[in-house]
Amino acid sequence: MLSRRNSKVSVKEHLDAIATGLKFLVKPNRMTVYYPEEVIDLSERYRGMIKYDWNKCISCGLCAMICPADAMKMYRKKGEKKARPGINYQRCIFCGFCVDICPTNALSFTKVHDIAYEKLEEMIIPPEKFTEDWVSPAEKEGAKKLKVEFDEERGLRHVPK
Amino acid sequence: MRGMGDIIQYILNIVLSPQFFGPIIFPGLVTVLVILLSIIWVERKIAARIQMRVGPLYVLKPLGGAIQMLADGLRFFFQEFIIPESVDKLPFLLAPIVALGFSILPIVFIPVAPGFIPFDSPYSMPAFLGLTAVIPLTIIAMAWGSNNKFAIQGGVREAYMTIAYESVLFISALSMAILYGTLDFKEMVAKQAIPGIVLNPFSAIVFFIAMIMSSGKLPFDIVEGEQEIVAGPFTEYSGIAFGLAMGIGYIQLYGFTLAFTTMYLSGWEPLLEQLYNIFPALGGITLFIKAYLLMVFIVFLRSVYGRYRLDHALRIGWKKLFPLAIFSVFFSLILRVIGVV
Repeated sequence: MLSRRNSKVSVKEHLDAIATGLKFLVKPNRMTVYYPEEVIDLSERYRGMIKYDWNKCISCGLCAMICPADAMKMYRKKGEKKARPGINYQRCIFCGFCVDICPTNALSFTKVHDIAYEKLEEMIIPPEKFTEDWVSPAEKEGAKKLKVEFDEERGLRHVPK
Repeated sequence: MRGMGDIIQYILNIVLSPQFFGPIIFPGLVTVLVILLSIIWVERKIAARIQMRVGPLYVLKPLGGAIQMLADGLRFFFQEFIIPESVDKLPFLLAPIVALGFSILPIVFIPVAPGFIPFDSPYSMPAFLGLTAVIPLTIIAMAWGSNNKFAIQGGVREAYMTIAYESVLFISALSMAILYGTLDFKEMVAKQAIPGIVLNPFSAIVFFIAMIMSSGKLPFDIVEGEQEIVAGPFTEYSGIAFGLAMGIGYIQLYGFTLAFTTMYLSGWEPLLEQLYNIFPALGGITLFIKAYLLMVFIVFLRSVYGRYRLDHALRIGWKKLFPLAIFSVFFSLILRVIGVV
């Protein structure tokens, strides 16, 4: 139950709430961006899609072992000695353990995060495709890049880069 | 033999008569459709502005997604309407249609402009309120027919809420009837040299809150209760019937705002003489604009308030609004004895 309060106070609180709502209605303070036309430029250490360097890899298998979600898997072709990692984005939780543990920095993060798949099978990336560079669909269509700045009044502000 | 012009004149006379034009075009069916399409978009846009986001945008982008609801309606229309095997078919299918009928029907009692009243009756106010009081029954019928635990929960909530707001709504409206000395909407408008909201603000506040409760808008969307009981009585509905069920609340709200405008905001006054002389129904634009602004204010409350719990809403109904409604009756009596109206 609500505590029994003075009804004068309660009326004032109702009016305050409505006034706050009206203030935001008249002077909106939008925090989101118009996404496909504008994208926020992400920080250097953003954990997006993972990229694989074929030549640096020493096939140690540490990435597949550390993966907590079982997303990394080592693929071995017939007749080849070396196994190479592939990733399953149905499972990946973007924790970054594989990137951290890789002794030769063969795995690295990109800033791309907005890839959409039409089929579940497409989300399983074998080693051959894993080396391809990721391209953000929004940026490919010429989205405007925005930078996040701190602002005394609003908290955050998006300015064109 | 009659000429073509006579036939056209004959049809035009029927279409422009208050008995046809009122229920079908303005303020009836066509206007209701326009209201439904626009007010939900307005509601979502207002909520988005206050919650620091954009809201619907990509359906007709130059106008900020204004026909979003048309797209949603088309989607509802072409979705499969599933009738579960366990439902009681007659109430399940009939209740949304009856509810739609009874939410539009009260609007015929609203006087649009002087001399232009779809259904002219000396008892238009109790008739209006009586017809709106049927809707809770249809909602309970939906809940019963659905044979679903969430639906029946919503139906029981509706039953509780009904007894909390209905008496309050009637008493506050009757206090205005006592003040003006008539049960007729058009005579009420004629007597409002000073708007009713100034004469008896207590009655206006009580009617306003009770009408939000009745149409199930936030902060009193207890019957739907999306967070706890899926969609309340509408849980088992899909496709066009779900669209209907969701629209009923807005149509009801439109009817109530028209009644509120007539009783408290002096209806069609100030009358736009030029438009009224062209065609009497055009004089009702003043009434429509007032009612629409009131609706916009009510849907704006969605982004200000959280939902009241059932027992809180009942407590507001019985412990706060009911005494205030009784007080407003005495206040009206005092005003009448002094001779203000």
